[in-house]
Amino acid sequence: MSRDKIWHLFSRKLANEASTEELHELQQLLEDNSALFHEMEAIEELWNSEAQEDADYLEATYHLHYEKMKKLGIEPKHIDESDEVVSTSFFTPGRKKAVAMFSLFAIAVVSFFIIKKPTTETPALTAEVAATPKEVATKNGVSTKMILPDGSTVWLNAGSKLDYTRIGKSGNREVQLTGEAFFDIVKNPKRPFIIHTSKIDVKVLGTKFNVKAYPEDKTVETSLVQGSVEVFVKNRPGEKFLLKPNQKLVLLNNAETDVLPKATLNRSAKLPIIAIDHLTYRNNDTMAVETSWMQNKLVFENEAFAEVARKMERWYDVRIQFRNKTLEDELLNGDFRKETLKQALEALRITTDFRYKIEDKTVLIY
Amino acid sequence: MTAVLNKKSHKSIKDLQRQIAVYEDETAYKELFFILFNSLTRFAAGIVQSKEIAEEIVSDVFMGIWTDRAKLNAIDDLQLYIFIAVKNNSIRKAKQLHKRTTVSIDEIDVEMESLYQNPEQRLISGESVNRIEAAISHLPQRARLIFKLAKEDNMRYKDIAALLNISVKTVDNQLAIALKKITTALGAPFRKKS
Repeated sequence: MSRDKIWHLFSRKLANEASTEELHELQQLLEDNSALFHEMEAIEELWNSEAQEDADYLEATYHLHYEKMKKLGIEPKHIDESDEVVSTSFFTPGRKKAVAMFSLFAIAVVSFFIIKKPTTETPALTAEVAATPKEVATKNGVSTKMILPDGSTVWLNAGSKLDYTRIGKSGNREVQLTGEAFFDIVKNPKRPFIIHTSKIDVKVLGTKFNVKAYPEDKTVETSLVQGSVEVFVKNRPGEKFLLKPNQKLVLLNNAETDVLPKATLNRSAKLPIIAIDHLTYRNNDTMAVETSWMQNKLVFENEAFAEVARKMERWYDVRIQFRNKTLEDELLNGDFRKETLKQALEALRITTDFRYKIEDKTVLIY
Repeated sequence: MTAVLNKKSHKSIKDLQRQIAVYEDETAYKELFFILFNSLTRFAAGIVQSKEIAEEIVSDVFMGIWTDRAKLNAIDDLQLYIFIAVKNNSIRKAKQLHKRTTVSIDEIDVEMESLYQNPEQRLISGESVNRIEAAISHLPQRARLIFKLAKEDNMRYKDIAALLNISVKTVDNQLAIALKKITTALGAPFRKKS
């Protein structure tokens, strides 16, 4: 038994069943057996990695499963909230307020809505074949800062992912972003730096700017602090948008189901709606609202509650659900730093009439 | 791009369970299906010896999860609950198919999913992985089953014991045997033959 003790300790460690004393004991037993130590380390690595599931196969299997349930009349109902909102409650008081706010914004800044022939989606900037993947990802509630192989600095906001495989020795500088990041790019006139997201590509030579491209958010935003950037919208090949410092480009993430209030007339065109706005500065802040997350601040100004909720989900690592849909369109202001989730919600309740319930990691707004 | 998946945690299954029970959320139901389907199918196939029948059994159990969603919150450990339901249905089916009166857990012949290494931190060569996979396939069936449930399904000892009607001590012993064989297979070429 004593000879096999080490295997019991090792398996308990892997299965998460070992006590602190047992972990300590294992470590001591391995001290004079470095060969075994390395073997166990490799096995532990294998133990903790998970095979990639075949998503297509699962998708097809689920489809069959769903059809089977449908035949029996017991299938779950698909929820399509976006349709519901547009058709039944577009002109709620909250919406009207949002429409009014947005019209102001649309008139005050350079804004344009172009209708073009729909084209097939092609990448605006073609990329080369990737080598071994290099990737950094953050969970909700955490942000991180890192230096890329070319010397550029990236701050990655919560719930985001950056693939920098294509920053190579050959001088290529291309990254793929999901979520939000602030880039401080080292200048190199010969080698532009390109950020790919699912909807846009951003090309720069050397500059400071923020890209927000969360798939679940209503808009994709590129905010320029310094220098200049070119933004290519993927389903509008051949066009590019040049930004000047303190400008931001706002693009609807899902133009087919979402509608910017001003753009209702263009809905049939099914093209993303693009606007150029100025960065927002609050009171005496030197940092724009758009980049405030870098100072560990959660700031929003005149943003719809639904959008604020997405930000708070990532900030506090919770899920926020609305029982009362009209609240989603309420415009909110806020500036939080060390506040707890509860304190933040209480602060928002001062200006907006809503109630909430926190249950584990879910917040219910009603 | 690599999709580095987190180990299936009971926490997330708990969240999904509540989403389904309270909000009748199809997305959560689908996610639960995605998380558990393949693993449950391999488990059921170990009993009924047919992938098609195994998939049918798992699909039926999942149907029951949806129709009984209102009672879902009363279940303490949903993953274990589903595994037990799949086991019971598979055994019933196996008895029917093979005209047997009993099915012992030592006859459960499960296949493991293929091993996957995070390419960024490859610690072992492809050849070593083959050796490990061979060692796993040569494990006694009971040890392999326990190894699968502990590794792939992240199950606690007490849950494995409850599922297989064995003692926690047996689980502890069998997993130690499995890991000894697997780890030794990895180190074999570097050791003197005894």
